[in-house]
Amino acid sequence: MGLVQNVVFGLVQGSYIAIAAIGFTMIYGIVNMINFAYGEYLTIGAFVGVLAAGVLPLPVAALVAMVGAGAASIALAKLFFTPINETGPVPMLLTSIGLGLVLRNVIRLGAGRSARYYDTESATYEFAGVPEVPVGSVDLLGNFFVTSRMLVVVGCAVAVFAILHALLTRTDVGIAMRAMSDSEDLARVRGIDTQMIRNSVWVLAGVLAGLAGVLLGIQTNVSVTTGFSQILQILAAAILGGAGSPYGAIAGSYVIGLVVALSTAFLPADMTGLSSAVAFLVLVVVLLVKPSGIAGEEVREA
Amino acid sequence: MTLLDVAGLDAGYGDLQVLTDVDLHVDDGEYVTVVGPNGAGKSTAMKSVFGLADRFDGTITLAGDDITSLPPEDVIHEGISYVPQTDNVFPSLTVEENLRLGAYILDEVPQDRLNAVFERFPVLEDRLGETAGALSGGQQQMLGMGCALMLDPDLLLLDEPSAGLAPDLVDDMFDRIDDVNDAGTSILMVEQNAREALRRCDRGYVLAQGENRYEGPGEQLLHDEEVRQQFLGG
Repeated sequence: MGLVQNVVFGLVQGSYIAIAAIGFTMIYGIVNMINFAYGEYLTIGAFVGVLAAGVLPLPVAALVAMVGAGAASIALAKLFFTPINETGPVPMLLTSIGLGLVLRNVIRLGAGRSARYYDTESATYEFAGVPEVPVGSVDLLGNFFVTSRMLVVVGCAVAVFAILHALLTRTDVGIAMRAMSDSEDLARVRGIDTQMIRNSVWVLAGVLAGLAGVLLGIQTNVSVTTGFSQILQILAAAILGGAGSPYGAIAGSYVIGLVVALSTAFLPADMTGLSSAVAFLVLVVVLLVKPSGIAGEEVREA
Repeated sequence: MTLLDVAGLDAGYGDLQVLTDVDLHVDDGEYVTVVGPNGAGKSTAMKSVFGLADRFDGTITLAGDDITSLPPEDVIHEGISYVPQTDNVFPSLTVEENLRLGAYILDEVPQDRLNAVFERFPVLEDRLGETAGALSGGQQQMLGMGCALMLDPDLLLLDEPSAGLAPDLVDDMFDRIDDVNDAGTSILMVEQNAREALRRCDRGYVLAQGENRYEGPGEQLLHDEEVRQQFLGG
């Protein structure tokens, strides 16, 4: 496979990581916690979607999954996170790790270990006749293909970015979300109901996780570890982009997606297991150069 | 008529009590300043009125309504606006978005007040699309005040409006505050620049170690021998 094919794989992977990472980073920026149970929200979305797809057309099933994951997110927040909002980031992080463990096991008990599949048709578009530009063992162009599933994933991501941007810059709730991630005290001074905004963020993050879960499920399969297997990449993408910044998370996700895809392809065969380690290597290097992440504000002295 | 009345206020943060039995009042249209050394509790007094500090005892009333236990998001509905000393704008939001949030509690942004803010601070209109974090310290202070004025408040709380400003801008800032007061808005201002603040205001308070020390017309405090010796450096 040539470079072009692997870039395609990287863009697809970056797309569903990005959808999830936006939700993850907004929880970080506005609720002020790292939510390690967030991967399970993707799994919940993937399962709700696969069940709904049994009786409904796929796009409707995807909407059901988004609503389901959004409802699960706000319900879990009200039960476990909102009551300990004042205790600070560390207790909330630990709670989320525990909650994630419980959720994974509940899902395993309910759904069993075997994987489920979305029953979708996928067309494949081949692009042959692309000249090969071999450099050593690496082909810098090469034939490639895209599937209609890949196009759906990337298309959904672009639609999410556009809707999110409109939400964050055109609506009072969206502007208030950005304001809260700057300063919660000043947001309250302006009369913003901060708990209402936090609730909105929980719902939004859940909806995005639901969509990412369905897309992951369509691309691969649905199992108890569907979301959990992505959480480190989501975390890396969010931090890489500048924790708390949705726009940074998008950039960070594509960097992670491309790095993982390219390192899988071009590392020697016995080192491909290292591809996610390479993603973290990139994270470490970027943070050494710019500690606040790609889109992060420089930390200024008060 | 008394607009703001703070009576016997004990306040602080968690287990830390900063203010003890503080009394303050602001009459309709009055310009009142609170001065005193660092750590006197001046900012805490402001935060207490606006619900950002813990109030342990005493009462705070605004035009007769008890607002003692209201959180900030409710106090803003009572006709008071507050410009904190630091973090008084959202740095990652544009100037326009900041002003829009100044009127967050209203159904829509009142165009006449926006125009009034631009008239007062023309630089804000010129830099509408830029992020607030890109403004200079003085411009951020103007934006912070502009946001507070979007609600046309009866009472404006200003916490150290001259802090961090270049010396040649300080006078300009005080002139603008005079203008706001002349337009009918009552002002309660905390200032580090005690001489200038007392010269400008109608009435002043000297706070030290969280307690009332002196109170009186600004000019009188400015010329009071004890106040000069203890708080104005002779």
